[in-house]
Amino acid sequence: MNTTAAARLDRATCAALVAAVLMPVALGLIFFYVPNDADQGFSQRIFYFHVPIAMTTYALFAWGALNAARYLWTGDVTLDLRSYVPMHLGVIFGTLTLVTGSFWAKVSWGTWWYWGSTELNTFLIIFLFYCAYFMLRFSVDPGEKRARYSAVYALLGVGLIPISVLAVHLGQDVIHPITFTDHGANMDGSMLFTFLMALAAMLSLAVAMYLVELRGKRLDEQVTRLRRLAEGTR
Amino acid sequence: MNRRAFVALVRKDLVLELRGSEVVLAMVTFVVASFVLFRFGLGGGRTAGGTRAATGLLWVAIVFTAMLALARTFAREREHAIWDGLLAAPVDRALIWLARSCSTFVFLVAVQVVALPAFWLFFLQDGPAPDYGVLIAAALLADIGIAALGSLVAGLASAGRAREVLLPVLFLPFAIPLVLGAVSATTGTISPQTSGLHTLERLGYLALYDTVFVLFGWGLFEFVVED
Amino acid sequence: MPSPETAVLCDGLVRRFGERAALTGVDLHVAEGEFVLVTGPNGAGKTTLLRVLATVLRPSEGAVSVRGHELPRAAARARPGIGYVAHGPLTYPGLTARENLELYAALYGVSADQIGPALDRVGLDDRGRDPVSEFSRGMSQRLALARACLHGPSLLLLDEPTAGLDADGRELLREVLAEPGRTVIVSTHEPAWFEGLATSEMPIRAGRVAA
Repeated sequence: MNTTAAARLDRATCAALVAAVLMPVALGLIFFYVPNDADQGFSQRIFYFHVPIAMTTYALFAWGALNAARYLWTGDVTLDLRSYVPMHLGVIFGTLTLVTGSFWAKVSWGTWWYWGSTELNTFLIIFLFYCAYFMLRFSVDPGEKRARYSAVYALLGVGLIPISVLAVHLGQDVIHPITFTDHGANMDGSMLFTFLMALAAMLSLAVAMYLVELRGKRLDEQVTRLRRLAEGTR
Repeated sequence: MNRRAFVALVRKDLVLELRGSEVVLAMVTFVVASFVLFRFGLGGGRTAGGTRAATGLLWVAIVFTAMLALARTFAREREHAIWDGLLAAPVDRALIWLARSCSTFVFLVAVQVVALPAFWLFFLQDGPAPDYGVLIAAALLADIGIAALGSLVAGLASAGRAREVLLPVLFLPFAIPLVLGAVSATTGTISPQTSGLHTLERLGYLALYDTVFVLFGWGLFEFVVED
Repeated sequence: MPSPETAVLCDGLVRRFGERAALTGVDLHVAEGEFVLVTGPNGAGKTTLLRVLATVLRPSEGAVSVRGHELPRAAARARPGIGYVAHGPLTYPGLTARENLELYAALYGVSADQIGPALDRVGLDDRGRDPVSEFSRGMSQRLALARACLHGPSLLLLDEPTAGLDADGRELLREVLAEPGRTVIVSTHEPAWFEGLATSEMPIRAGRVAA
């Protein structure tokens, strides 16, 4: 037990260090290295924040959903936290996605939200789903039932993503009749490099936050368990 | 599949509803009142009828009305503590879900038999005649999705506190793509400039939606129903 | 490893609801044909234990096997042979007595012509077409008994079956319980009433079997 706890400590700290290195590097690249965009100029750089954050959100969600499925399959209760924490972080990153997305809309299309963007609209639906996940989580008392219900809903979200993408795509004529082609399909070498570094930085940040939060919540659970034992049979 | 058990469960829901209508009458009243509300809200002018706004409102009204049905799903079993009887029986949990989805589907269709003509009366009389075939097909497909997913989500919502509030919150993110698909399919019907392929694509989308969530409902309900 | 003659076997059964453990480690062995009384104060865990054995609740921890089938893995196989009489009647008030039994007959795969005799057995043959909402507590209990025995279970689980029964009802209950060829587990506050039927008593306190 002691060795694995120590190993976990190391992993969280390692991840935090990696993030601490990658983030400033990525920031430096975004602000100083990559050239200005031909069409939109300096403010286009929000793209290097928005898209990596969005992709990280999806990655977190995928990880949370995967662990949800594993929980339902095996009943291993440690998987409940490993499903919940990524979803929780997903809400944080999701909020950032929406905020940076709003800035991106302003930069690209001149309005604070752009209804013609498939990506933004799909994300909005997913974000609402995340919030609903939390409502569910907080309405059930802690225990096996909450873990089970959270896992079921997280898995439903897996169905929601492709369904939403398709719906928003098909519903373009309804949502916003005039569509612009999305920006950012072709990136030259330096732009691609910057983008990938930004993505790596965001992912490492997410991993670090995941490991740290997981550790914190596990300690919290252990304390609760010990307190219960100390109080006698309950 | 245990067909006899399935039929018995569906029949039980329908008989109970026929005898002491808890849901269908309330839904009919609600949906018609919503149309009146929308009509007045949009203003009495010609622009209100036959527009995209009207179609959107139809589907929004349908979704919110469906919430009424879903809120009462499993309410009887909960209030009279009958779940133990069903769970102790040698019946596949997924079958219980399937039976409930089917009876909910019947309720939704029953309400729409009134709602769609009322919609025509309030919004479509003024404008061009819609393609009723598409409208009805879209309604039926949407009903399947709402019933299937709704029965599962109703189970999730009934566990916790504030379940009347929780059900809409849990269900609505899933209603958004459904409404998008339905509106996209039926807008074409009301202002008929779009091609048959366009409509078919969207109806196909609704069918895909149904397939996905029927599979999820079938697979996941057993994790929801046990205490 | 349960032998064929073991009806129920529990080893360290724990059942939690959220943070609270209703059963804290029940060890139980009931052989075929035994008649066990489960006694104990309110909140001791009697109902929870019966619900786990009825396969309505899954064990949180510990090993449970009913009629040789391990729970929860093989719960579906155990169900056909279990009859469960709960606190509530487990019937739909909006349906008639007959309709309720028709539903359960369909769920248990029992032929519909067994319903008449079942109602007859519990003295409800003339009330079969009345809605259950009009039934008295005693009549509901009789219907519950009919429902639980409809499929000829080999294990009968009853949760405080004497509560609310009149003299005739009690006599009927005694007749049904005296029928041979079944294992019976009853939770009750009146162990003395079961004199002559019960083969053993198991007191439960705070979620486990009291010494």
